[in-house]
This record gives sequence, structure tokens and C-alpha cells, in this order.
Amino acid sequence: MSFTDELYESAIDLWDAQAAHPFVRGIADGTLDPAVFERWVRQDYLYLAEFSRVFAWAAARADRLESMGWYAAALHLTLNTEMGLHREYAARFGISVSDLERETMWPTTRAYTDFLVRTAADGDLADLVAALLPCAWGYVHIAQKIAAADRPADQRYADWIEQYSSDEFWLAAEWLRSEMDRLADGASPAKRDRLRHLFVLSSRYEWQFWEMCWNGEAWLP
Amino acid sequence: MSFCETQQARIAPLWDRMLTHPFLLQTRDGTIPHATFASWMRQDYLFVEAAIPFLAALIPKGPASHWEPMTQAIGALIRELRLFEERADAVGVEIRGSQPSFTTHAYIQFLLATAQNASYEEAYTVLYAAESAYHDSWKMVRDGLDRSSPWWPFVENWAGPQFAAYVSYLEVELDKLAAEAGPDRLHRMVEAFETTVRYEVAFWEMAMTGEGWPGIPSADPALSIGREGKR
Repeated sequence: MSFTDELYESAIDLWDAQAAHPFVRGIADGTLDPAVFERWVRQDYLYLAEFSRVFAWAAARADRLESMGWYAAALHLTLNTEMGLHREYAARFGISVSDLERETMWPTTRAYTDFLVRTAADGDLADLVAALLPCAWGYVHIAQKIAAADRPADQRYADWIEQYSSDEFWLAAEWLRSEMDRLADGASPAKRDRLRHLFVLSSRYEWQFWEMCWNGEAWLP
Repeated sequence: MSFCETQQARIAPLWDRMLTHPFLLQTRDGTIPHATFASWMRQDYLFVEAAIPFLAALIPKGPASHWEPMTQAIGALIRELRLFEERADAVGVEIRGSQPSFTTHAYIQFLLATAQNASYEEAYTVLYAAESAYHDSWKMVRDGLDRSSPWWPFVENWAGPQFAAYVSYLEVELDKLAAEAGPDRLHRMVEAFETTVRYEVAFWEMAMTGEGWPGIPSADPALSIGREGKR
């Protein structure tokens, strides 16, 4: 069993809960209220800016040229391709780019992105990848599960599924998994525990992110 | 008005909400349940621990004139940890080995991400806002709490003259930093101030409600393997 298989097993409840989450199910069958989906567009846009920053930390931390190139490519994929798609999505919901940029982080977005940035800054490369993986891998994992069924009639949701189940995103997730396995190879049991801790914590945040979008969220008044 | 005065005025309703939080009122009146106060002690102990690397990360980013005061502030945090341990022993609370609640975790990540990723001015704003919030909160408690209360030493720590002088020093230095900051940086400092105070309010709320983590209780290995990045 690879280390990333072990990671998956350790967070399987959280991953299953994400796949079964009403927000995700609503995308899959096209019944998700667009006003609810808008929350995700707005908050995930803010999330992706910080997620990109963490890939930049990874490129700086990389221990070999091949990895540095991959992190730079992932940074480009996130910062330009994925965020570009978010801007297009936003337009389809009548949200302008300036609206997106004026958006304030809700508590879960704030906490999750601070956790990622802090881990990137304070930890080593393996820590960083363990914290990134539940987002990069999880979205592909969920989208591929959904993609096995018929596409929803709402083109906006069909495009979402198409994007995250695409070969481009799948290859990026697979590479990140192999990088995690490489970095964990030969690590001490204590280090592997720490990586598992970070992976599960990010998985928890991923689930919380769906919850935040589904229910709405606000800071205490 | 100075930067600090302006910020205090801008977020006055939030500040009032903090100072009138039931946790503080009940602590002041001596009616806070022991278990509720113990829960706060455990969470704040984790927070004080994490404030040490926060301050340490600021030292190389700041002007040389801030190095010694910052080092002294770290010494004060270590004394705060001893205070928590002494009080916990005195009242029979197990303070070590607790897991952070969601709010504690989030607030700590905010501190450490700010120290690493934001400007020195923003991080200094967070430091001032947090310390100032504690000073005012415990001054409010001081106005009613019986001196024989087991919680009185916390009042002495945060509402006492030494801490008051420290907060005044931070205010003067932060105003100087703000006076030199450009509009973009100043805007970020304003945001950092408000976010910090929001976390302060959320922290009292968490202590009062005994909040853990939202979600799925069965999948908790993340919270049982070491708390804050011990490697």
C-alpha cells in the first residue's frame, strides 16, 4: 500500500462525507440552487489565490528541478487556468471580477488558507504537499465520481464536472500523489504521523468548505 | 487621531461586544462555571504557546529598536504559561495535552500565517490588537471580581501596570509604523486590526460554548495526533 493510499484510508470518512455532501450532490444532479453555488464561486476564488501562493512556496522549497517545474506548472494551472475559469463562471452568474476581488473571506476560508500558508512557511516540502493534497486530489476524486453518471442539464454544473474530471487536473493530482509518496519514502514514523495529521486536517477543511458554501457563514456580528 | 485611535473608533461596536461578552461578565461577577473557565484556560494556554513563534518570527522583520522589547515580550509569554500551569494546579485543572478548538486553531493559523506572509506592519497590528483587547477585557473583569477569586492572578497579569505599559508602548510604535505606511499597506493594517478583534470575540464565544470542531466526530485522528505542529 502506498503512503497516499494510507492517507486516503485515514481520511476516508471525511472524503465519503464530501462525496455525499448535498452541495456536491446538487452539482451532480443539477439541482443546486445557483445562489448557493455563487457562494462557492466567490469564496473559492479567494481560496485559490492563497492556494497558488502555496504552490509558489513549493517551487521555492523543491529539492530537485523536476519538482520545481511541476510546482511552477501547478501554480500556472491554478492561478491562470482555474482562476480564469472562476472569472468566467462568475460572469455567468452576473458577478464581475471587481466583485470577486472585493469579497471578504468567511471564517472557514480564512482559517483554511491561513493553515495552508502557515504550513508552507513553517513546515518542510513534505508537510506542504500533505496539506495541499486533499484539495488537489479531492476535487478530481469527487468530479470523477460524479462524471461517471449523466451530466446535469445546467451547463454551468456540467462544465464544473468537466473541468475537475479532465485529464489535465487528473494528471496534476496524480503527480502530486507520486510526489507525496516520494517525500514520505524513508520518513520516520513520527514524520509520517505528522503528514497524516496535516492531510486529515486539510480533508476536514475541505468538508467544512462545502458546509460553509451550503449553509452560508458569517463572522460573529 | 492616531492610527490606533482611529481603529478603536471604527470598530467600537465590535469592541463593546467583546467587553460585554457573557464570559467576561460572568468572570467579573464570580458566577462563571468552573468548567467553563477551565475550558478557556486550556484553549488560551495553547494560544499563548503559539504566540511565542509568532513573536519570534517578527524579530528579523522588524527594526533593530524592536528586537529587545520583542524578546522581553516572549519572556512575558513564558511567564504567562507558568501562570496558567500554577493556576491549573491550584484549581485541579489538567491543562497540558488539550486539543485546539476550531476557533483556537484558526486564530493560531491567522497569527502564524500573518507573521510569515504579511508585512511587519500588519503583524504588529495583530499583536497590538490582541494585546490591547486582553488588557481592556481584563480591566473590565477587574472592576468587579473579588480579589480572593482563583482567577484574580489573571487580572493582575493582564490588567496590571506592567501589561498596561507594554500595550501603551505597542500603541506608540504601531502609530509610528502606520504613519510611514502607504495606502495599500495601511488598508491591510486596518483589515488585520478588525480580523484580530473578530477572533478575540470568537475566542470568548468559543470558551463560553465549549465549541470543538464542526462536523464529523468519528474522523478525528487529525485532532488526536499532536496539536500544533510539534515535529
